[in-house]
Amino acid sequence: MSLTKFKVQLMTRTRPTWLTLALLAALALLQGCVTATVDEMTFLEPTAGIGDASVVIIGRRHAPDYETEFDFIECIGDHIRRGDNSISVLHELEFINMMYPWFEPRTAPLRTDDIEKLLSQQRVADRFAELKLEYMIWIDGSTVETNSSGSMTCGVGPGGAGCFGFGTWGNASDYEATIWDFTDETEVGRISANTSGQSYMPAVVVPIPIIAPVQGTACDSLGDQLLKYLSAKM
Amino acid sequence: MVARLLDLITSGPNKCRRSLSVLAAVLLMTACGAREVVVQGNFPKPLMDPLPLTLGVIYTDEFSQHEIFDEAAGRAESDWLVKTGDAQVQFWNTLLSGMFEEVLLIKDHKTLHAHEDKIDAVIVPAVADLQYTIPLHTNIKIYEIWMKYRFRLIALEDIHDHENGDLTINPDQYFADWTLTAYGKTPTAFLQSDEEAVNLAAVVALRDAGANFATSFARVPDVVAWMSEGMQASPHESDEIQGAAHD
Repeated sequence: MSLTKFKVQLMTRTRPTWLTLALLAALALLQGCVTATVDEMTFLEPTAGIGDASVVIIGRRHAPDYETEFDFIECIGDHIRRGDNSISVLHELEFINMMYPWFEPRTAPLRTDDIEKLLSQQRVADRFAELKLEYMIWIDGSTVETNSSGSMTCGVGPGGAGCFGFGTWGNASDYEATIWDFTDETEVGRISANTSGQSYMPAVVVPIPIIAPVQGTACDSLGDQLLKYLSAKM
Repeated sequence: MVARLLDLITSGPNKCRRSLSVLAAVLLMTACGAREVVVQGNFPKPLMDPLPLTLGVIYTDEFSQHEIFDEAAGRAESDWLVKTGDAQVQFWNTLLSGMFEEVLLIKDHKTLHAHEDKIDAVIVPAVADLQYTIPLHTNIKIYEIWMKYRFRLIALEDIHDHENGDLTINPDQYFADWTLTAYGKTPTAFLQSDEEAVNLAAVVALRDAGANFATSFARVPDVVAWMSEGMQASPHESDEIQGAAHD
């Protein structure tokens, strides 16, 4: 009686571990491969960190054919915050709204020479001082679908629903981060990340997506390099 | 009656076939309906030193109830109705009140005479053109809105009031007249409907219009001339009527 009880307890304790492992293995298997290339050129690194100053990460959105995704900017911000919670990263949309109309696609400064012109507006200069803004990081780029092939047919009938077929598609991310130092009104670094990967979706009754985390890898790669630059802990 | 109809449809030996027919009919009717977007958004106040001007603003009915109706070109497309009027008024109220020392909304004879001593000029905005595209039109995964505005600055004495409280503006009398364009786009996103995307593109276009207006107002030649002459309006007349204002 007591042995049965012990076995039951053991099974109850071990099931979540096996289940977690199985889920992790399945997730690892269901991820497509991604290749990433990161280039970095930075100088005037703040060796003691940025202290109580703040950083803002903003996407470039003035090109007619693409725009840097808001969720990608959020992903990099979250990555930096997770890596070093002493770094104050301002929320992009809140910052753009606070500074309206100076960071709209039409009016956003494109070169460091424009900083002086921007700061000549007294209210803008006051707002920057209030935010203790030290670094502005511009992210330019996007993720695109490079190719797709295959076909899949799905049907619904009285007995149930199902799909059959195979689909594959490729994604490529190309992003460049440009770091501006607002105190010195100069550019202090450029980091670029290029990633690409192929995703697959076989379907025999149930479609099984095997997704290559192309944008996520680009986010992690850029986030890691920016964290190394900004954080005193790295 | 509806219950009886439903009962009739969902009972009997051909229940499944009837249900599918009704579902297909409902889907067909949904596909043919007009798509309506009432533009809504939150607009920030501009961060700038206000110009030392007291400006009256008149929103014409055409402007405050602005909408664009686009009829479907084929059976696969839907009619589109994009209503921007409320958002236009909300946006320009926010922008102008941040750009100028004081902005007074002129609705009628009463409000005009209540503030006539302090108003330097009256601005009348108008939407001259609005175009939009959705991925169905262009095969590009971007929703776009393009707008063209026409602004006129009018001297207070050129606004005529009537006994019934109505105001009229001679569309040919103004001392500054200029146009500006605005563009807004939003990419397709997962779980984003066409309506949400068109709304977002319109909000981006409005913000762009504001950015363009705020950065170019003090460089408009007629405005520069007026401000350098100590804001003494000298109305000039145009030969053609380009009316967005009331007659």
